[in-house]
Amino acid sequence: MASKDIVTYRTPASVLAAVASVVFVVVFLLWTVLPLFIMFVSSIKDLLEAFKLPAVGDWSGIGVFFDFTPTFKHYVDLFQDEKFGTYFFNSVVSALGSAAISVVLGSMAAYALSRAEFRGKKDLFFWVISTRMAPVVAVMVPLFAIFRYAGLVGTLPGLVIAYTTFNLPFAIWILKGFFDNVPYEIEEAAMVDGSTRFQAFKGIIPLVSPGIGAFLVLCVLFAWNDFLFASIIGSGGAKTLPVATSGLVQPQNIQWGKIMAAGVVTTMPMMLLGLVIRRYLVTGLTMGAVRG
Amino acid sequence: MPARLNPAASQRYYFYLLAPAVILLALISLYPFFWLIYMSLHQVSLSPNQPDVWIGLENYMKLFGDKRFLAGWRRLAIYSASCMTLQLGLGLLLALVLNNSRYEKPLVTVFLMPMMMAPVIAGLVWFYLYNGTFGWYNWALQSLGILSGKSILGSADTAMIGIVVVDTWQWTPLITLIVLAGLKRVPQDQIEAHMVDGAGSIRNFFSIVLPNLYPFLLIAVLLRFMDNFRFIDAILRLTGGGPADATKVLPVYLFEVSFTNFNLGYGAAIAFTLLVVTILIGLVLVRAFTQPSLRQKD
Repeated sequence: MASKDIVTYRTPASVLAAVASVVFVVVFLLWTVLPLFIMFVSSIKDLLEAFKLPAVGDWSGIGVFFDFTPTFKHYVDLFQDEKFGTYFFNSVVSALGSAAISVVLGSMAAYALSRAEFRGKKDLFFWVISTRMAPVVAVMVPLFAIFRYAGLVGTLPGLVIAYTTFNLPFAIWILKGFFDNVPYEIEEAAMVDGSTRFQAFKGIIPLVSPGIGAFLVLCVLFAWNDFLFASIIGSGGAKTLPVATSGLVQPQNIQWGKIMAAGVVTTMPMMLLGLVIRRYLVTGLTMGAVRG
Repeated sequence: MPARLNPAASQRYYFYLLAPAVILLALISLYPFFWLIYMSLHQVSLSPNQPDVWIGLENYMKLFGDKRFLAGWRRLAIYSASCMTLQLGLGLLLALVLNNSRYEKPLVTVFLMPMMMAPVIAGLVWFYLYNGTFGWYNWALQSLGILSGKSILGSADTAMIGIVVVDTWQWTPLITLIVLAGLKRVPQDQIEAHMVDGAGSIRNFFSIVLPNLYPFLLIAVLLRFMDNFRFIDAILRLTGGGPADATKVLPVYLFEVSFTNFNLGYGAAIAFTLLVVTILIGLVLVRAFTQPSLRQKD
């Protein structure tokens, strides 16, 4: 990079700034990681060990935190006594189902929006994205009424459709950007060579498929982490991991080890997926406004 | 025949591709929206045998006299503005420090982790950390002499700080990520020219870097504002709106009216005000999205 050619001088101020930034990053790193670390360690502590704390002001007693014998019994409990296997399955099916529907319908719609010119296209596009922006609490009551009428409350198909309310607009919005980047000439050439329109559309899918894959994963992430829809639409027969984990909190006798273990089970898969699609995260989390 | 030579057929084809998504969206978003308006104009009955009673704008008139409704908006504004200020400051600082550092990639990967967590789980973990009898963060705060007696969520004076901290923990990295993407697009030649003219790094920051970052910061602010309106998972888990309503931001109040008291008609009126404000923010956001400066890469 050319900017390296400019000579910079070490001044007391610049050394101070360098030290301050290292300190800032280290503190921020601790601040970010510590809650996750405590969650993980607490999940392998026995019940009484999790409650051990040094006296107030006794900083040297901080070692109590590591004073325990690791046990995986909470994880075993979750899957043996608490049916977390079923909840895990529910989470996977509802998240994948809605992601798949959203990406398939979304890429069709996004392609059409990218290629077609018609009056009101902008309004349609804004309406699509505004459905994604609506606060869930605000639309939950009428949505619940509709779902109850259709017999979808407490079922996995119900959850799949509920998640589609936010994943489909997201997919349309993001994928339109992808199709906008594919020149129309490619399809035109294919059609001149005798393909039908649909074949031409299928022909350019491989060009956008890495992006589509990444956004499928993002749709899974959004659906997996949902709580409000799952707790109201899914209540009864379709409990997902966040709802089940939250449900472990009872007014009396809070089993923190178990709860933290459930937190780890819920969080780990998403952190791994996040790593896989790391490159697309900025684009996804800013709804396509910012490219990484 | 090439599509351009037969525009009518082409339009029909696009219509078929668009239709399934639009119909599904209409069913799950437009239909509930009109139902919401209908409910807000009625006294909604909970039993299927009794019809809803038309009461016109009565639910909306009630809003103006409802102190908890107005307080909910005020708290939502305080909550969003505090989250925004903290996250923007920290996120910007972090991005500036990380940019072009040797460890940028691995560090950002670590900083991303909280964002992958379900907000309700984040709420649970922090609820545990804040706990008055066995929470480590509560212990640390007490040992530092910052807190005495009540835990941070247990007192009406500090509970708001507690929920702001959790949101900041989880979402500051998003700002960092956005700003980092923006920093990569700051034209280096402008900085160099400026430095040749004798500008220092601080002047550089204010006269070149910051103006170039402006559209990115705008996106970050709007996105976070909207999410603070949309997500109450962590707050529900942390305080449920208490103590003494100190953290009852509007969406939490709405949740209580609709799902605890089952006052559906009134809840719909509250929901309508929330929707209108969110959609207005959304309009600004969409305009910000379409700024070309976000996309250009030098």
